[in-house]
Amino acid sequence: MRIRSQLLIVALSTLVLPWAGCQYARELEVALRTSQEQALLASAGTIANALSAAPQRVFRDGANLAKFDPGRGDLYVFPLDRQPLLDGYREDWGIAQDPVALPGKSAPIARVQAGITERYLYLYLEIDNPHFKPEPSDVHPAHDRFDRIDLILQRPDGALQSYFLATNAPGLIAAQSLVTGEDGADHAIPDPRIQAYWLLTKSGYHVEARLPLSLIGDQLWIVARDGAAEPLPEELRTVEQLPGGRLFFAPRGLDDLLATFVREGTHATVIDANGLKFGSAGHFDPGADEPEGAGLGETWLRRLLAFDNSSLPLRSTAPDRIDGPPASDALAGHPDAVWLRTGHRNLPVLSAAAPINVEGATRGAVVLEQAGDQLVGIRDRALMRLFNLTLLATVVAVAFVFGFATWIGVRIDRLRAAAESAVGKDGRIRLGMPESARGDEIGALARSFESLLARLNEHAQYLRTLGGKLSHELRTPLTIVRSSLDNLESEGLTGEQRVFATRAREGSLRLSSILTALGAAARVEESIKQAERVGFDLRELLVSAVGAYQSGFPKIRFELSAPPDECFLRGAPDLIVQLLDKLVENAVDFCPERGLIAVTLTRDSGNYQLSVSNDGPPIPPEMLGRLFESLFEQRASRDDKPHFGLGLYIVRLIAEFHSGEVAAANRADGGGAVFTVSLPII
Amino acid sequence: MRSCAPAIGYDRAMKKLIAIVEDEPALRDNYAAALARHGYQIKTYGNRKLAMQAFHVRLPDLAIIDISLEDEAEGGFDLCRDLRALSAELPIVFLTARDSELDAVSGLRLGADDFLTKDVSLPHLAARVAALFRRIDALRQPADAAQILRRGALAIDAQKLQVSWNGTPIVLSLTEFWIVHALARNPGHVKNRQQLMDAANVVLDDDTITSHIKRVRRKFVAIDAAFDAIQTVYGMGYRWVE
Repeated sequence: MRIRSQLLIVALSTLVLPWAGCQYARELEVALRTSQEQALLASAGTIANALSAAPQRVFRDGANLAKFDPGRGDLYVFPLDRQPLLDGYREDWGIAQDPVALPGKSAPIARVQAGITERYLYLYLEIDNPHFKPEPSDVHPAHDRFDRIDLILQRPDGALQSYFLATNAPGLIAAQSLVTGEDGADHAIPDPRIQAYWLLTKSGYHVEARLPLSLIGDQLWIVARDGAAEPLPEELRTVEQLPGGRLFFAPRGLDDLLATFVREGTHATVIDANGLKFGSAGHFDPGADEPEGAGLGETWLRRLLAFDNSSLPLRSTAPDRIDGPPASDALAGHPDAVWLRTGHRNLPVLSAAAPINVEGATRGAVVLEQAGDQLVGIRDRALMRLFNLTLLATVVAVAFVFGFATWIGVRIDRLRAAAESAVGKDGRIRLGMPESARGDEIGALARSFESLLARLNEHAQYLRTLGGKLSHELRTPLTIVRSSLDNLESEGLTGEQRVFATRAREGSLRLSSILTALGAAARVEESIKQAERVGFDLRELLVSAVGAYQSGFPKIRFELSAPPDECFLRGAPDLIVQLLDKLVENAVDFCPERGLIAVTLTRDSGNYQLSVSNDGPPIPPEMLGRLFESLFEQRASRDDKPHFGLGLYIVRLIAEFHSGEVAAANRADGGGAVFTVSLPII
Repeated sequence: MRSCAPAIGYDRAMKKLIAIVEDEPALRDNYAAALARHGYQIKTYGNRKLAMQAFHVRLPDLAIIDISLEDEAEGGFDLCRDLRALSAELPIVFLTARDSELDAVSGLRLGADDFLTKDVSLPHLAARVAALFRRIDALRQPADAAQILRRGALAIDAQKLQVSWNGTPIVLSLTEFWIVHALARNPGHVKNRQQLMDAANVVLDDDTITSHIKRVRRKFVAIDAAFDAIQTVYGMGYRWVE
């Protein structure tokens, strides 16, 4: 893997920044949630305490201590926002709950809903009685059979008062009360304070009634009666105590009182011990903070990060009561805060409840609700910024690292290329490395390379001159040996002595030829220094020389191919012949008997290509680049002549003197080697 | 040195005196022994100073001088110059351990009569010395036309070891003379390097033969710019063409 890719992967580790940001955001949200819980709980506690101090403004006397029991006709009274029209329809009440059935075994089935405004109590009744029996005129109401609705209410002063609603024709009517007249009989007296609207429907009739609050105490007993049924039991008309029908609502002004405590974005509800809603103030919208058309990134982010709200308990939406935690906890005496979710989109809602204690008893609770997505908004904005910043940082870091890695890679590549080409094909060493002026590790590496190459060069230089030096230094002692032998032989030796002297002479002759071979490169260098350039015909030289080689090596076939015309070259012909000698010597060494040595001269634009190709074994590839080095002996020779790997080095020296180049290659057919000298035409 | 032992007074008049200036004692003594065997009187010197002191007292009949003498890398050249100043005719032979010095010597034109590498065998050395003495003697006698070999403009006096071109004498070293002689004796015949070496009584490598030929040509060209009688036959050798 390239350094660039490696560093890129390293750079990608900066992606841990956004991840850490996310983690941080989550923790932040947890912390925010906790602090929100505590703040809301504190608010709830404060409000509850304030309300505990003035219980008469929260609870009407006595009645609300009782347990709410719809089976006994207890009625929850919905607070109404505005005065409804008396028209027999309850759509304008704005209550999202159906009327509840009235208790009682007597037919018909009646369902009731109660509402309260500042001054009136409203009743809405649905009676299933398809056979409407209108009220006859001038008939004793208590005994006559017609459809009617009895209302027995306890007045604020505690006394009971009976009314009934009946009509002979649908429409706006007034309630009638039974008054015992002087004659001892009951008379139905219309009471215009209680108004109602009688509406006939297919299945029965709807009655919407309005009662002034000044008439209303704690209880209201409602009985719907079919004209075909039994008359109202006597005892009910004279009861001192109603069996049920308690009304559950808050004193007037609770909402306003509550509103003074409630901050914006918070919804406060007061419930009584039954969990019934008594008053509320403030407004919150769980979805309000959801930004319109949030960006794709943000949505995605939200999905990635959002707490899973679906496991939260569902927030109660009953219009009349609040059940479950935290209200139930508060009613049990323990303040509590709980995260809920709305049924719509699972948005989080924080709900905190604190008990309202009056004289040591928990009579109700304050429930505060706040949208949780305020936090989500804060978190998302912070997170988005963080995310964007870290992402930008990552992109910048990655880009920077990539660029840096590319730069490093380019430098190393440059160094590698220089190192690879430092030792040329001809064995020459190029000193000087790129990057060596830099102060960093690559620069140091380049300098190490440089010093390594310098030492290699020194070594090569030493090897180049070694032959000459050895040859020179050994020549004087050898001369002593040989001249001593000369003298010895002149002294007149006996037969045996002559044999040894002859052997010694042979040895010294061999030594001498070894020294001559060793010094060959040095002599060529010397003659190159002395060489003069003259113009000559390279073709003629080749014809003559190849002819000589053929007579010198009769067992090998020589072939010369050259351009037909004169090939003028300016140089040293003696040296060129020497070059050719060395190439042919080398070729002959490897050419089998009756093999072919082809000498080829070609001319291209600017260069003569002189090549000597021989049959024989190919050159091992790893040697190709080193053949032209001094003292590089590639193989055991087959003759007695000493070889020091100088022949091809001499070829190189002479080619260089002619500004030319040398190259060795194996023939394409694998059946031999070819050495090519390219000489610029001057 | 047995041959040096007989009565000095008599021998001194008869025997040629050869001075050997060579800093390598073993080599010096070997040369001295060999030449003494041939009947010469030998004086040997280890350095230039001793040699010059002796030469001022008495000139030798022939001097064999090594080029590098002790700490003087080219002390032999200086010695040659000084010696030549003392005597114009005294034959001087350079001995050198280095082949390459032949070229350097050629440029110096110090008036040496021959340049030999130390590869030369002692019999060859003796032959040269004899030849040089013969030339000295021949120069004192009138020219013998029968001894003169003529090849066009070239005239070779084998007795006096002298060559002239168009009547102008050319100063050649003994080796050079023998090479020219070998080539000119059979014009048109290619002489390879070995043949030339044999003719010159030397053992030289190919490069040295090449540089000898080069020097000979240069000497002829100095007299006649159109000189082209020595031809190179690439890969074989040289030939004389008329």
